Order: sequence, then structure tokens, then C-alpha cells
Amino acid sequence: MTAEASLAAVRSLYLHIPFCDTRCPYCDFAIHLGGDHLHRPYVEALIQELGYLAGSGRPELGLETVYLGGGTPGLLAPPLLEQLLEAVALRFGIAQGAEITIEANPTGLTEERCRGWLALGINRLSLGVQSLDDQALRWLGRNHDSATAEAAIRAATKAGLENLSCDLIYAIPEQPTAVFEDGLRRLLEHSPQHVSCYELTVESGTPLARSIAKGRVAGPTEQEFVEQHRLARELLEEAGLLQYEVSNYAQLGRQSRHNLCYWQGRHYLAAGCGAHGFVDRAVAQRLGFSVDAGAVGIRYWNLRSAATYIKQVAAIGHGRRGHEAIDRDQAELERLACGLRLRSGVELTAPRQLVEAERLAELGLLTIAGQRVAATSTGIEVLDRLTLELVAGEPARARS
Amino acid sequence: MASQSTSRIRNFSIIAHIDHGKSTLADRLLELTGTVSARDLTEQMLDTMDLERERGITIKAQAVRMTYQARDGQTYEFNLIDTPGHVDFAYEVSRALAACEGALLVVDASQGIEAQTLANVYKALELGLEIVPVVNKIDLPQADPELVREEIARVIGIPAERSILASARTGEGVDRILEAVVTALPPPVGDAEAPLRALIFDCKYDAYRGVVVYVRVMDGRLRLGTQIRMMASQGTFTVDEVGIFRPSMVAVGELTAGEVGYLIASIRNVRDSKVGDTITEVSRPTREPLPGYRQVLPMVWAGLFPVDGDDYPDLKEALDRLQLNDAALTFEPETSVALGFGFRCGFLGLLHMEIVQERLEREFQLNLITTAPSVAYQVTLRDGRSLEIDNPDQLPEVGLIETIAEPRVKLEIVVPKEHLGGIMELCQERRGEFIQLEYQPPGERALLTYDLPLGEIIHDFYDQLKSRSRGYASMDYQLTGYRAEQLVKLDVLVAGSKVDALSIIVHRQQASNQGRKLVQRLREVIPRQLFEVAIQAAVGGKVIARETVSALRKDVLAKCYGGDITRKRKLLEKQREGKQRMKRVGSVEIPQEAFMAVLSLDR
Repeated sequence: MTAEASLAAVRSLYLHIPFCDTRCPYCDFAIHLGGDHLHRPYVEALIQELGYLAGSGRPELGLETVYLGGGTPGLLAPPLLEQLLEAVALRFGIAQGAEITIEANPTGLTEERCRGWLALGINRLSLGVQSLDDQALRWLGRNHDSATAEAAIRAATKAGLENLSCDLIYAIPEQPTAVFEDGLRRLLEHSPQHVSCYELTVESGTPLARSIAKGRVAGPTEQEFVEQHRLARELLEEAGLLQYEVSNYAQLGRQSRHNLCYWQGRHYLAAGCGAHGFVDRAVAQRLGFSVDAGAVGIRYWNLRSAATYIKQVAAIGHGRRGHEAIDRDQAELERLACGLRLRSGVELTAPRQLVEAERLAELGLLTIAGQRVAATSTGIEVLDRLTLELVAGEPARARS
Repeated sequence: MASQSTSRIRNFSIIAHIDHGKSTLADRLLELTGTVSARDLTEQMLDTMDLERERGITIKAQAVRMTYQARDGQTYEFNLIDTPGHVDFAYEVSRALAACEGALLVVDASQGIEAQTLANVYKALELGLEIVPVVNKIDLPQADPELVREEIARVIGIPAERSILASARTGEGVDRILEAVVTALPPPVGDAEAPLRALIFDCKYDAYRGVVVYVRVMDGRLRLGTQIRMMASQGTFTVDEVGIFRPSMVAVGELTAGEVGYLIASIRNVRDSKVGDTITEVSRPTREPLPGYRQVLPMVWAGLFPVDGDDYPDLKEALDRLQLNDAALTFEPETSVALGFGFRCGFLGLLHMEIVQERLEREFQLNLITTAPSVAYQVTLRDGRSLEIDNPDQLPEVGLIETIAEPRVKLEIVVPKEHLGGIMELCQERRGEFIQLEYQPPGERALLTYDLPLGEIIHDFYDQLKSRSRGYASMDYQLTGYRAEQLVKLDVLVAGSKVDALSIIVHRQQASNQGRKLVQRLREVIPRQLFEVAIQAAVGGKVIARETVSALRKDVLAKCYGGDITRKRKLLEKQREGKQRMKRVGSVEIPQEAFMAVLSLDR
């Protein structure tokens, strides 16, 4: 297979922009605080890595989705963004009607900036609203208040962005459900096309985890989770935003195509510090991975520090830190685990899984249509266990 | 009278409580007699199994021959027989002692004499052994050697000045111990010209050579080509090799009366070489076998089941292999509705059970579920028939039963007097009947004797004994017989169906209390499922206690993983491994510890 042909299979690209103004106490993504002087060298490194990933050829089809995630990509000056997107277009091509997303925070978001993004072809904004309760926003360590968030939403809408996604966090310790409900209702008054509704997760190593360990903060409770998760689903669906994944809701046709690519097990390239990519055997071989006979694909990840990333790319052309070969069993496990997160569900293949599925369906946790199973709304609240029950029947260990 | 040839032989063993320094002293003796050079000495030389070294216990008996140049200018042959140190192996200990004329009694200078040690000393005295007390670990700051010497004098009646003060760790006093073996222990007596009588005190299975039989020749000679008969098991064999342990096996021309060594005779099965049996010569048999032989019978039974049903053939093979070297282990196939196919195994005691279980998991990589151990009950039916059951689930319907009798033991406990109250309370809770209480030395330590059901001892008794005495109490017991009691079967229902492997037999008066605690404990160990799970205890179909494991309400991470699917998958793989250690009974996942829950009920 030629390089061009193999790249044709990759229709999605993730670009990580690590810069942030502040570190939120719950965040464990690869970020870089301040350091405006790094923006240019970082973007240049990204562009160099894109060249490495693309190789010599230029695919015919072009990318279906591009996702600028962070960090806070919205902090990048428009000319740098333009340079970056031009490089993407040059190296990979961008398909007609592609979804191009940028993540941004409400602080400093103006109508003008949104117009600039639209002009660059960026047609989807993922806005880090997180909450419309000022007390909660302070607690979350955000550098904006609810008024700033609402102003940002208005600015984006006014600029003509027709695909706006807002992040919202629930199960925040000490936030009463009524206050969460009030914030959600206010958000819905702005009619965003997409809402990502996340629970506050306590990642080990974050300042939040340390506060909980020291007993200064009570961790989120199961009760809060269930109550607020149900409430959110109810209000969002009433407003025409349908749950299509555990924490994602969208108007018809406005699901995140890029994120669907992760959950549906499709391949994607990734560039930038801390970014994760998934490629097939042919692309992996071209990128210099040694691919075992049993591997169906390679997942790779880049080093997390922005400064080191810049240095490594300058030296060897890419920011790779590690990779793993995915064998058939692992691929199947991922297919089920990711597929079940979608309300549209997943096809089961093994008879043993179907027997298990019937038992779970009797408990009201799954629906079965032919070979296809999908979690019900109560099923989705216990999805990890549900997944485990379905996959436990799989051969798990190689026996000698 | 000892003949010329036996007068320079000394056969002895070491009696000691766990941790009192038996293995270290044995190492030191090997070193000082030049049997093993200090360079080759691995710690606890005689404990050859990893498990023995790790746990600091001796499971199999060992023998070693040492040559000692005494101060009288003569060279002596010492045979040290190392014995297992746990109450489970009391019979093996008695046979190893029977192969000796003397014993070193090793007592920790800071601890004093423990119950098990005392039991073994009595055994040795009954067998006519000469005892040389050694007060060990005198180098420890908390050592009080004189007090321990006095205690030995009072309890055993050996004058204080005859106790040797030593430290096996530093080597202090070990030369005096070697001399005492020569001067204080008698040489063996035996007639080399009489018909052969040799005592089997242990054996081990060697994959290449078959069974290696550990013997003490009492009378006669044992040599290559001798046609031998095992008097109890009736097998006849031709001796292929005789030898001694130095400590590895070294072939010799013959073993004569008074000597200790081994024989190999193409014996395929350890069951043909029973500990305590007498070996004689086919062509010139002795009329009288040696006294004291007894068939070793299991005392406790438990079901062993593979977590993964596909491992059943592997489990069978593993048990077969363990049995090659462990004549006390018995097993037969068992089928449980809850756990599938497995084996009902008989053990000498709880330690023996733990050892077998650990070896199966460690040496054969098996993932097992062990059910709560049970004793054997004698059941008399209304129609006059009687049967013995070692599995509570086999108990016939209540209506058919006339009586159920349970085994009882005479239990001896040595405990410092300040903990006496707590220990007596424990014995009462366990349906013990007080027999007597003595102080030794007066006012310091109590020797407490109870008559108690064996079934009560195998359920967490030892741990309780230790925790209620801050670790100072020790115990020993002997089976005394059976007695009919008001016993009932307590069943456990999980999600409405009976889990046969969780049934236990309890006293009627304790049924509701035990049932309540058992379901409470199960509620703690059974993880939440996708549905509510009722856990009930029932006697004769009547529910006497109930707990509920509420349904899992939240088990999902509503977060954005970005493209990092690896992390998500690894988490899932880890959870899947955890799940595979559980057994699904009906639709409920039950972890291994649930089947042992009955062992950890505080009453």
C-alpha cells in the first residue's frame, strides 16, 4: 500500500494546544501556564510534526474532522492559527463540509475573535463554560464568572457560529442540585447546539485529589451524581438536545463528529504535546513503528511537556513518547467499551455476550435489537459494570 | 546395654516453639560439626521448602548425620531429626521422637515454655527420651535466663543448673550443647543380630527415585538387596539403596541397629510407606512390630474448587502430585450447585489446609475457592442407620435424623495469668467445658484444660486466642471422642437461592446469632451488583436473618477521555481481572473471601 493510500484511511486529526492562563484544580491534561513567547515556536513545531505525519504524499480525500484541543487553543493569536490550519490543509487536505472545532474559554472571547475563526474555516466552538454559578466557578478555580460566560455565548452566536458546544460540570461538592438546575436552565436559554455534561472527576495527582485526601473537601457523592445526571438528561432532552453519549447531548445532526471517531474505533492522527493518536498497520509502519504480526493497529502518544516537545520535534521531527500495539482481543474490548458509551450502542459478536446481554436486558439496563445492544438510561449510569459483564465472557488470559 | 558399635551414636531431635530458635540452632550445630561449611549454609538449612523458610515453620521432618569430635577424644555420630512444629502434625512429631533417645528442649529466654512445647515434652518423656533443656536467645536484652531455668525446673522437673544457657545466633554455649548430647543423652540400644525392625518416621517422594523412606533401625540390619515388608501396610519391596543424610543423601553399605538414614526400594506411593510403620525382613520377620503405629486420619475437610471451571483437570493433577509427597492429604470429587466441580479434601488441621491451598496456588498457578472447613459429624438416622458426613450440605433432611454427634477435643492452653479471663471467656463462648486450671510456676502462667468441640476450634479459635492474649497464649489439643449435640444446619440464600457451599453446622442455641453475623459479614464482602441482592440465613427452611446488598447506582465515568482510549481500556482490563477472581453463583458475583466468611465472625 502506498503512503497516500494508507493515509486515506485517516480522516481525523487532533491538535493539542497546551497553553492556559491558569491551572484548574481538577484538570490533569497536558497544559502549559502562561509562556506567550512559546506560542510561535510551539506552532512551528506542530507544523513540522504534521509534515512528519503526512509524509511525502497528499491524500485525495482530505480530513473530515480537525480538533484543536487543549489547554486553551482559543488563546492562540489568529495569525498563528491561520498558519497552522494552512499547514493542515496543505499536508492533509480538508474535505468539503469538514468539522473543525476549537476549544476556548469564556475569558476574552469576543465576537470579533469568533468571526476570525469562522473566516479560517473553524466552524465549531467548544466553550469551557463549566458552570453558571459564580460560587461553583470560584470553587472550580476558573478565571471567569457566569456573566463572562453568558457574554461569550452571546458573542459566539452573534458572530454567526452555528455549532456551539458548552461544557458543563455537575456533581460539584457542596453545590445543591437546585443551583445546578438553575445554571443549566440559564444555559439552555442560549440554545447551544451541543452540551458536554461532565461529572467532576477526581484525577489522582491533581490539587483537587490532594484536597480530598486531606479532608478539606468532600468528594462528589453517588447520590449527587445520579440525581444531577438524571436531571441534566431530562432538561437537555426537553430542550431538544438528545443524549448520544454518556456525557454528550446534541441537536439532531450536531453530534461531535470528531469525538464519534474515538468512540466508533476509527483511526485518527494526533500532533502536539500530550496528544494521543490511533493508526492502522500501514500508517504505523510508515511512521516507523515496529508492528507485531498480531497487531491490528497502533496507539501512540506524545510527551507531555510543551518545552521538551518543541526540542524533540526540532531534533527528530516528532514528539512521540510511547506507543502500544493493539491486538485483536484488545481491539474488541475497546470496540465494546467505547461503543457502549453511545446511545446507538454496539454490535455483539460472541454468542456468550448475547446470553449475557439478555440477562442485562431483563434488568432493564440494555435494549437488544438483533445483534445490536444499547444501554438504557439507567444502564448508562452503571455503564462501566455493564461493559464488564458483557466482556467478562471473553477470553481474557492466554493459557499455556 | 549399648553395644560397642552403637555406643558412639546419639539420636536426638529438637523440641521448640515456633520462633524460639530451633532452625538457627540446627544451622549452628551443622556448622560447628563441619557437616556444612559456613559458606554453604543457607539460613534454616533443614527447612527446604520455600514455604517453610518464609513462614518459619517446619512441615516435613528432616534428618541429618553429623560427626562430632568430643572432649573425651572420641568421635561420635549424631543424628539430628528435625520435626514439624505444629499441632496439626502431632503424630508425625511423636514418631520422629520415637526414633530418638533424647531431645534438646529449646526455650526462648524471654518467652518461657509454650503449650505446644510442653505437649511435645510430655510426649518425649512418655517415650522415655532424655531431655537436655537449652535456654536460647540469652543475648537478647529482654532475656531472663534464670527465670526460664526455674520455670523448666518447676514444670518439667529438670534441675535448673542442667539447663544450658545459649545463643544460637551468636554461637555462645553451642559447644556445651554438643558436649551435653554426648554426656547427657544415652546411646541407642538395639541388637544388630536380631530380626530387622526399623521405624519409618517420614518419607518424601522423589520424581526420579520413587519414595525415599526415612528410617531408624531399631534391631537388625538393612542393606542393599534386603527383602522388606511394611508390617502395617503389608507391602513388600527389595531395597535398592540405603544411605545417610549429610545433609544430602549419601549411599552406605548398610544401616544397623541404632542408626538413622534412608532407604529406596522402588516404592511408587507414599501411602506404602506410612509414618510409624515397622519395616522387617521378609525372610526373617520380627514377631512384634514397634509400638505406636496409628493410621493418620484427616481432622478437617473443605471443598476446593477452581474459580474457572476449565481448570478442574489441572486441579486434579495438582492434587495427585501433592499427594505423592503428602500421605495425610485425602481428596475425592465433589460437586456443588454453586461452585461446580471440585474436590472435598481432608486435612490434618487448618495449617495443613492452608499449606496445601497455598502450594496449589503457588506451585500450580491455580485460582481456587476454598469453602469453610468442617469437621466430620456422626449422624444416626431414625431408621437406625448411621453415617459420617464431612460436608454440611450432605446432612440428610431434619426429619430423618435421630442424632448428630460432633468430635470433641481435650484442649490445653498455656496463658499468662493476666489474660486468663479473656481466654476462659473464649472457651465458654465456644461451648467449652472447663476441666482444670493449674498455675506453673505458681502465680505466673496458667495451664488451662477444656473439653471443647473440634468444630469450634477450626473456626477462628487460634486467632482469637492470640488476639485475646496479646499473642502470649499457646495451645495444643487431642481428639477425645464424639458427643451428640443439638446441632442444626445453617443455610445461606443469596438472591433467593441456596448456596450449598456456604452451609455450616452450628449449635441450635447459636444458630440465630451466628446466622445474623454471617449475613452481616457476607453483606460486607459481596460487592454491589447491578441489582439488589438479598442475603438470608435459614435453618430448616425458616429464614432467621436477612441483609441486603443494595444495587449499584453509579458506575460510569461521565468524562471526556479525549483520544486516550488506552487509559480507559487498561482500567477495564484491570477490573476484568478482579472479576475473574470471583465466582458467579446464579447471577451474583461472589468473591473468594465470602466462602471463608464464617471463619471471621466475632461472636
